[in-house]
Amino acid sequence: MSLTVIGVRHHSPACARLVAATIRALRPAYVLIEGPSDMNGRIGEMLLGHELPVAVFTNYADGERRHGSWAPFCAYSPEWVALQTGHETGAELRFIDLPAWHEAFADRSNRYADAELRYAEAVDRLCTMFGVDNTDALWDHLVEMGPQEEIAERLTAYFDLIRGESAAGESDTAREAYMAGWLRAARAHAGDRPVVAVVGGFHRPALLRLAEGGPADWPPVPDLPAGAVVGSYLVPYSFRRLDAFAGYQSGMPSPEYYQQLWDHGPESAARHLVTVVAGRLRGRGHPVSTADLIAARTTAEALALLRGHPVPARVDVLDGLASALVAEALDVPLPWSVRGALTAGQHPAVVEMTAALSGARLGRLHPDTPLPPLVHAVTAELERHGLDRSGEITVDLLDPRDRERSRVLHRLRVMAIPGYARSTGPESGLDPALVETWTLRDEGSRLVALIEAGGYGATLPAAVEARLAERVAESPGDLAALAAVLFDVALSGVGELTGDVLEQLGHGVAAGTDLAELGRVLSVVLALWRHDELFGTAGTAALGVVVEAATRRILWLSDGLHGPGRPADPKRIRAVVAVRDAVLHGRRAGVLPAAAVEVAGRVAVDRAAPPDLRGAFYGLARVVAAAVLTDLPGVPGLPTPAEAVRGAFAGGTAGDWLAGLFGVARETVLAVDGMLPLLDDLISGFAADDFLVALPALRQAFEFFPPRERETIADRLLDRRGMTGSGRALLRVPATPEVVAAGMALDELVERRLSAAGLGTGER
Amino acid sequence: MNVQRPPAEVRFADELARLRETDDAPRPPGWALSLRAARAFIVGDDALGVSRKFVGDPSLIDRALVSLATSRGLLLVGEPGTAKSLLSELLAAAVSGDSTLTVQGGAATTEDQIKYSWNYAMLISEGPTARSLVPAPLLRGMAGGMTVRFEEITRCPLEVQDCLLSPLSDRVLAIPELPGDAGMVFARDGFNIIATANTRDRGVNDMSAALKRRFNFETVFPIADFDTELSLVESESGALLRRSGVTAPPRRDVLEVLVTAFRELRAGRTARGDEMDRLSAVMSTAEAVAVAHAVGLRGWFLHGAPGTAADLVSCLAGTAAKDSPDDLAKLRRYLEQHTAWRTGEPWRELRDARRELPGG
Repeated sequence: MSLTVIGVRHHSPACARLVAATIRALRPAYVLIEGPSDMNGRIGEMLLGHELPVAVFTNYADGERRHGSWAPFCAYSPEWVALQTGHETGAELRFIDLPAWHEAFADRSNRYADAELRYAEAVDRLCTMFGVDNTDALWDHLVEMGPQEEIAERLTAYFDLIRGESAAGESDTAREAYMAGWLRAARAHAGDRPVVAVVGGFHRPALLRLAEGGPADWPPVPDLPAGAVVGSYLVPYSFRRLDAFAGYQSGMPSPEYYQQLWDHGPESAARHLVTVVAGRLRGRGHPVSTADLIAARTTAEALALLRGHPVPARVDVLDGLASALVAEALDVPLPWSVRGALTAGQHPAVVEMTAALSGARLGRLHPDTPLPPLVHAVTAELERHGLDRSGEITVDLLDPRDRERSRVLHRLRVMAIPGYARSTGPESGLDPALVETWTLRDEGSRLVALIEAGGYGATLPAAVEARLAERVAESPGDLAALAAVLFDVALSGVGELTGDVLEQLGHGVAAGTDLAELGRVLSVVLALWRHDELFGTAGTAALGVVVEAATRRILWLSDGLHGPGRPADPKRIRAVVAVRDAVLHGRRAGVLPAAAVEVAGRVAVDRAAPPDLRGAFYGLARVVAAAVLTDLPGVPGLPTPAEAVRGAFAGGTAGDWLAGLFGVARETVLAVDGMLPLLDDLISGFAADDFLVALPALRQAFEFFPPRERETIADRLLDRRGMTGSGRALLRVPATPEVVAAGMALDELVERRLSAAGLGTGER
Repeated sequence: MNVQRPPAEVRFADELARLRETDDAPRPPGWALSLRAARAFIVGDDALGVSRKFVGDPSLIDRALVSLATSRGLLLVGEPGTAKSLLSELLAAAVSGDSTLTVQGGAATTEDQIKYSWNYAMLISEGPTARSLVPAPLLRGMAGGMTVRFEEITRCPLEVQDCLLSPLSDRVLAIPELPGDAGMVFARDGFNIIATANTRDRGVNDMSAALKRRFNFETVFPIADFDTELSLVESESGALLRRSGVTAPPRRDVLEVLVTAFRELRAGRTARGDEMDRLSAVMSTAEAVAVAHAVGLRGWFLHGAPGTAADLVSCLAGTAAKDSPDDLAKLRRYLEQHTAWRTGEPWRELRDARRELPGG
C-alpha cells in the first residue's frame, strides 16, 4: 500500500545511490520511472548490458512538425539505476511519463533537462542564500557533498522550496497528471506491497498530491495523432553530447567527474580531476609545476573547509586549479561560475579543465539490441538507388533519378559514413558543373558509424538535418563553415532548417567580420534564394535568414570602415552590389530598405570612408531611393548628382569614387538627364599629369559598363561635341594604351621644346 | 568630524563587531575574523544584519580569502570600474580590521613609499635608528601582521614592483641601515598583500614572471546578470540623485535602455548576436551610474521631470564617449543601427534623439 516517491535530479550520483538503497530496502512490487511510457514493452532492451552512456532517441514526424529528442542515461542516472536495481529485486518496471513525441515535449530535445531551471527565480534566491554562484554549485553543496543519511530530507526540502512558490507550466502540468495516474494504478495493483516511483524532484510535491484521489486504472499510452510517424530506439550516446545541452535543455554538467564520483567517491574524483588536468596541460606543453599542484590542492582543501564540504567538491577543485594555474587576467568568466556552454576566449588551462570534466566516454549498445532504424533505412535506400556496391559512379544532376541518388550519397557524406567520397562535382551553388563522380568503397567500419549516426534520427534526411543543425551551432561567425552547411543542405535535399537553427544561422552570419567574404556569400545566397530550382532552395527560410543577416552585417561594417586614401577594391564594391540586389529583391526575407538608405546616405558623405565605398553607397542610396522609396521625399542630406560628382573630383580620387558608383548604379550615368555631361567636363578639365594618375582607376570604373553601354556613352560624347562618327569606332582604338600615352608624352615634349626655343603656340 | 568617505572598517564598524561576536569558526593566525565571517562580511548575511557589499560571484570571494590565508599574495585584475579597489578595501577590513595600509601605485611611486624612509633631521642628529625610521605601509603591515593594499600595481615601474619579491616569498624585509637584529623585519602572522591591476593598463608596465608567481590572480568581471546590474544602477543613481536634490526617481524603462546599451557596448555584441566594436572608453557599471545620475540631473533641472531617453543621448556623449571621436562614431553607429529593431517607447525615443550626439 505504501507509495514512496523519490524526487531526484537527473544524472545525480547521490540520487542514484538513494534510489538503489531504497529499492533494495523496500523490495517494491512496482518501480515506476519517469520515462517514455511507449517504451514499456521494450524495457528488456534496456537491460541487455550496454556500455553507457546510451539514450532512447525518439523521432516524430507529422504533416507540420518534426521533432527529435533524447532521453540520455549514464551509469549514475537515477532512472537507469532504478531499472537495474528494480530488475534485480524482481519488481515490475514501468515508465510512467508521456511519450517523447507528445506535445508536452514539443520544445524539448533533452527529456532529462533540469525542470527547475524553467523556474529560475526560486533557484536564484537559493543560490544567494547559500552564497554560491549557480545551481550546479548549490546542488553539489547541498546534495552531492552532503551527508548520505540526510539526502532524502534534503532533496525533499530543496524541491519543496523550489516548487512551493511557482506554478508549473502547461506541459509540466499535463505530464504530472499523467504520471499521477500510473502512481494510483500501481498502488491499487500492488496490494499490500510497496511501490517506489523515481521522478524529477520538481514534480514530486505535485505527484504526491495528485496520487491521493482519482481513477486507479493503468493509464493508456496516448494515441498518436493521425498521420504521424514515431520511432523510439536505443542509440549509443557520448559524454560530450550529454554535456553539450545548453540553456534550459541542460542537465547536470561534467559527466566524467560525476562518473568518477559514482565509481570511486568524491575524494578519488577530486584527485582524478587534478591528475587528468595536470596530465593534459603537460601534454600540451603548458608548464605545471609541483608547487602549482601543491597550491591547487591546498587551495581546494581550504575552499572545501570554508564552504563546509567534508572533501573538496567539484567547484572547490576547479577553483583551486584556477587559482594555482592561471597567472594572468582572464578574458571571460570561468565557465563553472556562469553555467552553460564553453565560450570562446577561455584560458587554455580552463579549456583543459572543462574537457577533463566532460570526458570522452562513448557508449556502446549490446550486440543483441535491435539496430536503430537508420541502419535499415540506409540499407533500403542504398538498394533502392542501386548504390549498394563498390566502384565509381557518375550522376547527372539534371536527371531527377540521378539527383535522388546524389542526394542519398551526399547525406551519407554529411553523416561521415565511411566509404562515400565525391571526386568531382559542383563546388558552389553557382558552379555550372552538373555531373558528379563518386567513389564507393565497402568499409568495415560502416555499420558502427551508422549505429552511431542513428542517434541523430530515424531516417537519413532527419539525421542529416539534426547533424547540420549541430554544425550551424558550432560555427558562429565562420562564414565559410556556414556556407558549407547551407550548400550541404542544398546538396542533400533535406528541405528546410527551422526554429532555433535559423536563429543561430542568423547570429552566425551577423558575427562575420570580412566585408568581401560577406558580399560573396550574400550574392551567391541571394541568387540561390531567388532563382534556384535545381537544388530547390528558391525562397527557403534558411537562405532568407542569411540574406537578411548578411545585408545588415555589410551595412554595419561599411558604416565604420575608414581609409580615405585606399584604392578601389572590386570585392568591396561587389559587396555593395549584393546589398543593392538584396534591398531591391529581398524584402520578403526581411531586408529593410529604409535602413539601407540611411546607412548609404551616411557613408556617401563620410569623408573618412574609402572613396570607392562612398561612390558605391552614393549609388546605392540613389538606386534604392528611386526604386523602393518612391513615397519618401528622398534621402535627407544626400547631395545631388552634380554636387556629389564635383565633390569626388576634388581629392584626386575620382576614379575610385566612380568605380564604386558605376559598380552599383551605372544607370545614373546613362539616364537622359544623367551625369555624363558633367563627367565629360570634369575629365576634360584634367591636367595631363592628373589624367594619367586617374587613368587606371577610370579604366577600372568604366569596365563596369558592358560594351553596348560603353558604345552609347561614346555616341553621346561625340554628339555632345558636335562630331560625327561611330561610337563603336571610338571604342576600338587600334593602338594600345601604352602607345597612346607615349604619343601624348611626345606631344607634350615637343610643345615644351618649341616654347623653349621661342616657337611655342603662345609666341607665334 | 565630517569625513567624506571613512574607511570600510569605520563605515561598517557595527557589522564587523556583530560578526566578531558570533564568530566561532577557527581563525587563520593573525586574522581579525575567521574565513567564514570574513566571507559573510562581504557577501552579506541576512540573519546577522550584514549587508551585501560586493555584487559578483561568491566563489570569487572564497578564492580571494583562501589566497590571503596562504603564502601567496592576491592580485585582483579586471577592467576599470569593476569595484576591484572596493573589494580590496573590504577584504583588508575583514581580514585585518584595517584597510588603511595602502600604497597607491603610479609612475612616480618609489621604494620609499612602499617600504620605509627616514626622518632626515633625526637621521643627521642620531644616525639610523628605529626612531629616525619612517615606516611605509609594507613595513608596518609586516611588523604588525596586517594586510597591505597595493593599488594599481602595474602603473609602477617593474623594478619598483619587484621590491615585493622578498616580502612575499621570504616574508622578511631587510633594513640594512639599522644595526643588529633590528635590520631584519620578519613578517608577523596575518601579513599579506592585496594588489589591484587594471587590464587596460597592462601595457604600461608588465609584471615580472617572478612576481606573478607569488600572486594568485583573480579576475573581477563586470556584473554578469542584467537584472542585478540594473537594480544596482537604479539604487546607486537614485541615491546620488537624492543627494543632488532631485526628488524624482530615475525612470526604470530609461535605465533599462541605459544598462542594455552599456552592456552591449561593453561586450561588443548585441542581444541578437551582432558583433560590434567595443568602445575604448570604460563602460563599467560605475560609469553607467554616473550617466544615470547625469540623465536624472539633466531631466530634473532642465525640464522638471525624470530624465528621458533623449537626455540619455546627450549624457552618453559626454560621459561615455568622452573626447574620443572614434568612440563617438561607434556610439552613433550603435544608435543608428541597433535601436530600430527593438520594441519599446524608450528605444524609439533614443532613436529619435540620436542626432543630439555632437556632430550629428
